[in-house]
Amino acid sequence: MAGQGFRGQSTGFPQLDDILPSRGWPQSGLIEVITPCWGIGELQLLIPLMRSVVEQDKWVLWITPPHMPYAPALVQVGVNTDQILVVKRDTSCKDALWSMEKALQTSNFGLVLTWQNWLPGKVLRRLQLAAENGNTLGVFFKQHDSKYSPSQIRLKIKDSLVRNNNKEASDFSETEITVINARGNFRPLTTRVNLYQPS
Amino acid sequence: MKNPDDTDQLSPVPASKNSITQIFRLSGSTKTIKSKESPKCNKKQDSLWYALYFPQLEELSESRQKKLLSELASAVRQVSSEISFHSHALICEIRSSLKYFGGMERVHDKLAPVLNALLQQRGLPGYFLYAASPTVIGSLLLARSGHNVLVYQKNSLRSALGRLPTNVLRLSKEQNCRLYNMGVRYLRDIWRLPANGLHTRFGGDFVNLLNKALGKAPEPIHNYLPPPAFSTSYDLPFELENLDRLSPVVDEVVAQLCEFLRHRDLCISHLLLSLQHEKRDNTEVDLALRRPNRSQEHLIMLLETHFSNLIIPAPVTGVKLKAKKFNAFMGRSNSLLAEDRPTSTHGSENDLDQFVEQLHAKLADNYLKCIRSVSEHCPEYANQQTDYGEPIDESSNGDGHRKGKEQEAQFVALAPRPLWLLREPRQLVLRNSKLYHRKAVTLISGPERIETFWWSGTDVCRDYYVAREASGSRLWVYRERTSDKNWYLHGYFA
Repeated sequence: MAGQGFRGQSTGFPQLDDILPSRGWPQSGLIEVITPCWGIGELQLLIPLMRSVVEQDKWVLWITPPHMPYAPALVQVGVNTDQILVVKRDTSCKDALWSMEKALQTSNFGLVLTWQNWLPGKVLRRLQLAAENGNTLGVFFKQHDSKYSPSQIRLKIKDSLVRNNNKEASDFSETEITVINARGNFRPLTTRVNLYQPS
Repeated sequence: MKNPDDTDQLSPVPASKNSITQIFRLSGSTKTIKSKESPKCNKKQDSLWYALYFPQLEELSESRQKKLLSELASAVRQVSSEISFHSHALICEIRSSLKYFGGMERVHDKLAPVLNALLQQRGLPGYFLYAASPTVIGSLLLARSGHNVLVYQKNSLRSALGRLPTNVLRLSKEQNCRLYNMGVRYLRDIWRLPANGLHTRFGGDFVNLLNKALGKAPEPIHNYLPPPAFSTSYDLPFELENLDRLSPVVDEVVAQLCEFLRHRDLCISHLLLSLQHEKRDNTEVDLALRRPNRSQEHLIMLLETHFSNLIIPAPVTGVKLKAKKFNAFMGRSNSLLAEDRPTSTHGSENDLDQFVEQLHAKLADNYLKCIRSVSEHCPEYANQQTDYGEPIDESSNGDGHRKGKEQEAQFVALAPRPLWLLREPRQLVLRNSKLYHRKAVTLISGPERIETFWWSGTDVCRDYYVAREASGSRLWVYRERTSDKNWYLHGYFA
């Protein structure tokens, strides 16, 4: 299993920590989250991270989310909405990437979330550098995987129903997460995580 | 005890209508003194203070007086650069400009019509009393007496002031009474009294005033400073089509502005940069800052961000920069100890503001949003979107902020809420008693009944359920309890 040496920021899900190098999210860099469609649990995955970023007095920037984040829900999970900024959905892709780069370079932001479907590797590399310079974590939500992306971690969230057809009981609660590529891991690793934890 | 105010003797000398300037000179010896003094006074020439006294201002309210005086001061600026405010009077230094204007009379002739017109415009009688002498207070006292005199030499000041009645000193009633009962009617009577005794009887301020009038004590004054205004322009020697080439010019213009701001200890919060074209309207870049600033790099960075979006209709022939709004500069000192927390977070706050300003320059104004939860039963209204900046105002007064926190605290106890709420609920399909969105939907938990707005026309009567789509996403769906009993998708737990 992965996870020797340097300890990262825990994801809040022990099963996922186990298969990530440095046993958690990295301090800076880019993370790609690939989902077949929006709203499959990708935000739930990041809630513990968001909470700890806000607790560190840093800001979270949402760039062009498909829907407006709902403040009461964020408050419920313990994320202070005072430190959340949202760039509206109908911003052009160019402007969105521009603001992402600037935000990654600013030390105030701990986490920058972006929803973009397809990006060339050149752009990703540039953002990766910006994130490393600003010591910020950037997250891309995508619907398609690109094999040669330079991101630090590529995660895939899959719907769990297909595999688990015979075990009806665990159907509703567990989601399959595959770490396709991560700096420090040799091969893709898969785990099952209960994203909707009863809080 | 007799009240001195009742007597005719002490009433102020009325302003002479034809305003004959009496000139007190020490006849004969003037020339010799001047020639003797000139070598050593070359370096530090004695100032000559020209006092303008406006008795009609006394009836006005204090704020109007102030306003009118500063208006008058801006008119007086044409003859002198050193102007100070006194009660109902302006005093300016005139010696340095006497030679230029060609004498006192000329200066007066130049000022009088302007000031009189200004006073008449404000509905006040258009006249003023004036005097000039080598001391500020001396001139003021002479002007108050209405003697319209000019005293060139410090030595002659004593005798000139001696002719004035004591009421020009504007003492309190009690002190006036005391002076009157001492037999003092004119200032020359005071000159005869010993300074020690005066000090014990009337206090240090009184003696100091007299010393100032005679030029024996220093007279610190506060100079009038006209309100700041900055505007500069640069005409290009050739036309420029590429905005990148413009940056050295913009750098130069902004550097001038920053220099001005540093001199006046100001910050800028709103500026206008216009690019001039041949036979076209100017292209204007309106730059309003979130937080007043005077950093050259920051302003240039913002302007360049604006330039990146700008399309110019024609080549640029000139650049003009105009400052529209100034703010006082609020300096912040760095902490001596590196580990001091508050200053470091404050500094990063600044960074954030810079980032947001840059974002505003790049995107349109309302593209950046803040979200806040509001204590409201109906789910659509429990989320408040505001433009970034408004919540900052609220957090600056701690009370509102705390109230917001309390409201949020109430919310945590409620049933699950989705991270994404759709702006418009989307209707779900019910087929063979199964729900479909993109795929089949199964209910997991619920219902949570929300009923509100029964008092208004749009009644909200819903049963909310948490549901699971076959694709794996979690949905927040509801069924209307009225009329059609349709199913709707209202949010994603994402």
